[in-house]
Amino acid sequence: MTETPAWAPAVCEGVYRAGIRDVVYVPDNPLSHVLCAFGGAYRDVRLLLATREEEAFGIAAGLYLGGRKPGVLLQSSGLGNSLNAITSLLIPYQIPVLMIVSMRGDAGEWNAAQVPMGRAVRAILDAIGVAHSTVESTAAAADTVRVAADTAFGTRIAGACLLPRRVTWQQGLTPGSDRRLP
Amino acid sequence: MNRLEATRIVVEVARDAPIVASLGHPAYDLFAAGDRPQNFYTWGSMGLASSIGLGIALARPDLRAFVLDGDGSLLMNLGSLATIGLLRPDNLVVVVMDNEEYATTGGQQTPTAHGADLAAAATAMGISAVTQARTANDLRAALAASRLIVAKVAESGPTGRPATDCVFLKQRFMAAIGNPEAATEGR
Repeated sequence: MTETPAWAPAVCEGVYRAGIRDVVYVPDNPLSHVLCAFGGAYRDVRLLLATREEEAFGIAAGLYLGGRKPGVLLQSSGLGNSLNAITSLLIPYQIPVLMIVSMRGDAGEWNAAQVPMGRAVRAILDAIGVAHSTVESTAAAADTVRVAADTAFGTRIAGACLLPRRVTWQQGLTPGSDRRLP
Repeated sequence: MNRLEATRIVVEVARDAPIVASLGHPAYDLFAAGDRPQNFYTWGSMGLASSIGLGIALARPDLRAFVLDGDGSLLMNLGSLATIGLLRPDNLVVVVMDNEEYATTGGQQTPTAHGADLAAAATAMGISAVTQARTANDLRAALAASRLIVAKVAESGPTGRPATDCVFLKQRFMAAIGNPEAATEGR
């Protein structure tokens, strides 16, 4: 693991300032920096690994029912694994969860298999009624995340904060250089 | 032992503790066995009852959280066994009502009718104190000490239908377990 890029602790700061202390996650390469940043500076945030994103939303729903404010970290591909959980649990029961979505398939992608879902993410979120915003820069990350979370928990409508690859790329790297060859 | 009989035993043992029910017949039986505000009935999200129960158990270590799952439902989210086996919360009790069929959708057989062993899977995933219960006495004993119980039950048919207003069910549940949703309270 290389040095933590500045956008990652900014995301953590936004999550933390929104009062989220329980984060359920399915790993992803950029999100590994967020997990590291939580582990370093925010020791009272509980990080919970799920085996699949749909399961993560079930755990998050239970955390909310028990009085907590949950966040879910997932890659955009995992949104496809989660649609039934979101549309038949979070939305009809008005159970708010903040999703932090690490984007694949957007500008800078090298893997064609990631593109169809990546392109569809915003249209799907609009279609199912999940509010979404995009972290446009490192400087804007903490506020964008905090506002998305406050809106979700205030309105009880699940919200998503998207992390585009143009932000999560490490400076100086070219598209495809995040590939870890076996 | 049929599923309704088994459900009545769980409700009796749970007293005022929260119970999460998987959609369809497990939820219908929970309603018939005794509607109570601490019941969280799911109307969708097949497979996620144990995950929801896990979240409640983690959020509220002061409570014992019960889950009524089905064999078909759990098979849709077997990864949940690995997560529960990893975290091992001592206040979560998952009861899998294993009737070896998808009863809510017309009685198609599940793999457990052909030897798939959910108790063995739970043990293999690291869940301690897994029990298979075939009789009411087995189930009562298991509820005292087990973390996951596979209750081999006969299908007893649908028995009732809980309220369908999901927001009502959520707000009633959260208030009943002592963490009312902020939006339901003035200040």
